[in-house]
Amino acid sequence: MSPRPETVTGLHTEPALASTVLTWDALGWDPLIDHYRIYGIAGDSAPSGDPREDDLLAKTVYPRFVHDGLDPAGEAWTYRVLAVSDAGRRAKPSAPITGTSLPSVTATGREIATIGAFDGRTLEHLLAPSGYASIPEQYPEALIEFVQGADDPGSDWPYLLPGPGDAWAGKKAYRARWTVTLEGAPAQDHDLAVWLVDTTRLGGILRVSANGEVVTDIELPRGATRGSREGDATLPGSTLLRSFHEPAIPAGLLQAGENVIELELAEGGWVAWDAVGLFARE
Amino acid sequence: MPASAAPAPLSRRRLLQVSVASAAVIALGIHAPEAHADPPPQREGLFSLGVASGAPRPDGAVLWTRLAPEPLAEDGHGGMDLHPLSVRWHVARDAEFRQIVARGQALAQPELAHAVHPRVEGLEPATDYFYRFSVGRQTSPVGRLRTLPAEGADADSFSVGVVSCQAWYHGHFTAHKHLAAEEDLDLVVFVGDYIYEYGITETNLWRQGAEVGPAHAVEIETLEQYRLRYALFKSDPHLQAVHARVPAVVVWDDHEVQNNYKGDVSDTGIPDDLFAHRIAVAYRAFYENMPLDIEALPEGPDTDITTGFDVGSLARFSMLDSRQFRDQLPVDAEDQYREERTILGMEQEAWVTQRLAESPATWNVLANGVVVAAVTEGHTDMWDGYPAARQRLLDAMATSQNPVMLTGDIHKHVAAELLADFTDPGRGNVGVELVCTSVGSDGDGAKTNPNAGVWTQHDYIKLYDGRRGYVHVRLTPQEMVSSFYVVDWIEADDTAPKQLTARFTTPAGDPHLIPS
Repeated sequence: MSPRPETVTGLHTEPALASTVLTWDALGWDPLIDHYRIYGIAGDSAPSGDPREDDLLAKTVYPRFVHDGLDPAGEAWTYRVLAVSDAGRRAKPSAPITGTSLPSVTATGREIATIGAFDGRTLEHLLAPSGYASIPEQYPEALIEFVQGADDPGSDWPYLLPGPGDAWAGKKAYRARWTVTLEGAPAQDHDLAVWLVDTTRLGGILRVSANGEVVTDIELPRGATRGSREGDATLPGSTLLRSFHEPAIPAGLLQAGENVIELELAEGGWVAWDAVGLFARE
Repeated sequence: MPASAAPAPLSRRRLLQVSVASAAVIALGIHAPEAHADPPPQREGLFSLGVASGAPRPDGAVLWTRLAPEPLAEDGHGGMDLHPLSVRWHVARDAEFRQIVARGQALAQPELAHAVHPRVEGLEPATDYFYRFSVGRQTSPVGRLRTLPAEGADADSFSVGVVSCQAWYHGHFTAHKHLAAEEDLDLVVFVGDYIYEYGITETNLWRQGAEVGPAHAVEIETLEQYRLRYALFKSDPHLQAVHARVPAVVVWDDHEVQNNYKGDVSDTGIPDDLFAHRIAVAYRAFYENMPLDIEALPEGPDTDITTGFDVGSLARFSMLDSRQFRDQLPVDAEDQYREERTILGMEQEAWVTQRLAESPATWNVLANGVVVAAVTEGHTDMWDGYPAARQRLLDAMATSQNPVMLTGDIHKHVAAELLADFTDPGRGNVGVELVCTSVGSDGDGAKTNPNAGVWTQHDYIKLYDGRRGYVHVRLTPQEMVSSFYVVDWIEADDTAPKQLTARFTTPAGDPHLIPS
């Protein structure tokens, strides 16, 4: 009989927007680990004794787990991890660790304007979940224009923004130009929430500009390259790789009246939108 | 009857490579004469996943079964208690097992999902045998195998079935039903995508009458999920019939791990250091579920599934791994044509080059996961993405007599003549490539489709058919006859009759596909 797996150690939590990234030290190859079981309970403490199966959050073969879908206002969870060997033997559970997700501006800010719902899905957007092939036909100039208050995500905001890595879209740096009207010039910086359901294996750069001034280059992670065909990252077992980006928009770049926020996929492959929003700080 | 017919001794060299605990587990799964695990009362249906043989030799083969009274148990252990269990096996000259020529015992252990891989040796060459397993009073279905001809011996003929791409959820395994009924059959070659990793949901479950639970609805990544996926696919009675009919040899493509993975790199952005864990469990499950020799048992994320064998003086087979050692996607055209670029890895290239150069066989049969023939530069997942490596392979094939490549992957029957140099047609042909369509993947299919022209634009492509089916290959000292069979439907049921869509004769010494 092969030995019981060792107890998982080295747990570490990394707070992230609406999620917590949990990592631990990988065990070796002998015995081969069938999977790790991640148990979690809301709050900053865990009861003693073995974890309850009702608290099983996930099983994964990787020494890493992203606990996503958390409250955008921030949430604390306490985790324990145990390994299961190829023979079905379970290790003792790890020591508990608590992690707290970062609050998102979608919860802490005051909504000025949004395109879509921050819900892990592309489905409310034009051509979702799999009609990407029509995007080059409908937008031959590689320019998508959306006027807040006049346009609608379902008819005017395609679910993908292609990039120069996308041969099917003509290898162009597509731009999404979003016009937002503000009643007055803001006194404080605002925040732009860019939530993505997936990106491509190419990663890339999403360049953010406000009224013609470059604000920042968002470095896109390598994604699952599946958000062009699948629209719901919240389904159990979904392999879509969500990412969350919330750069500040300096108050000085915004003005009373019309403002143009432009998102250009300057390098790499497409992004699949979850939602985009402009938020004022409370 | 050979007096020496016996279980195979274990490779001490191989066992020294693994830890003490693992070595014991491996050893007992192959040969456990003193196995102590008396069978406790067991549930019925221990042999629900059938039997198989593989790694054929002139004096024997590996026998395989995996105990699973509840094959779709979600923990991947098939409904077995997490304890070892003794499994006896017998080999006989007759189907009634009156003339038993070899017997032995192995230990089915939870570490290997209660799979056993005993190797029987000491059998007569070129001889038909029957085998079966037993636990307590339960007895497995009977499997058949024919040992290979003796080294260097003449062989009048040798017939092979070629199959690939078994998306169980896309339809019934009608192709396997017909293949198992072939009277002239010595071996089946699986050329990749034995399983698929995708979640099975209502959108891709086209096999009418089939239902699966939510445990199957997600992309698999843990060992228990890979084990469960093999159990689901192997529960098909027609696949079991093929395995019971003849020995099987196997190469993999990508879906045994993940779509389009390359080397140690995922296609979906999973970091390499994490993806190694998934490769390790996927490779382990492959070993557990195939009739493979011990050399194919992975150590972590590394393994060796390349193997070779001779069919007397008639044929030499070389089974290639075109997935584990390949370079990544080319970054540009210059990179794509880079001389050092490899799909097999340099060590494997050297191995197969030597096998071809030194081969005394009339036919030199290779098998790999992806198409070798030049089709379009855009097919970077195939050998088109590795043109320099292809040229090296073609050069190596040219050193041997009558090379033949067996391939799958594309879900289409394609027959191609392999040019000595695809950039210089004037140099003539070096061999032929027989690309087998899928058993299940893509459902019913159709004879042609809008993409066919990408293939048929080339004069050296002699067949394109997008229906499901298998290829039957008959080798003799004089010629190779390749028969491409199709069925018109697989989604509704398994009753479609087989049709011969094309048959080619390739005379020895003349590397062409001549319609016949």
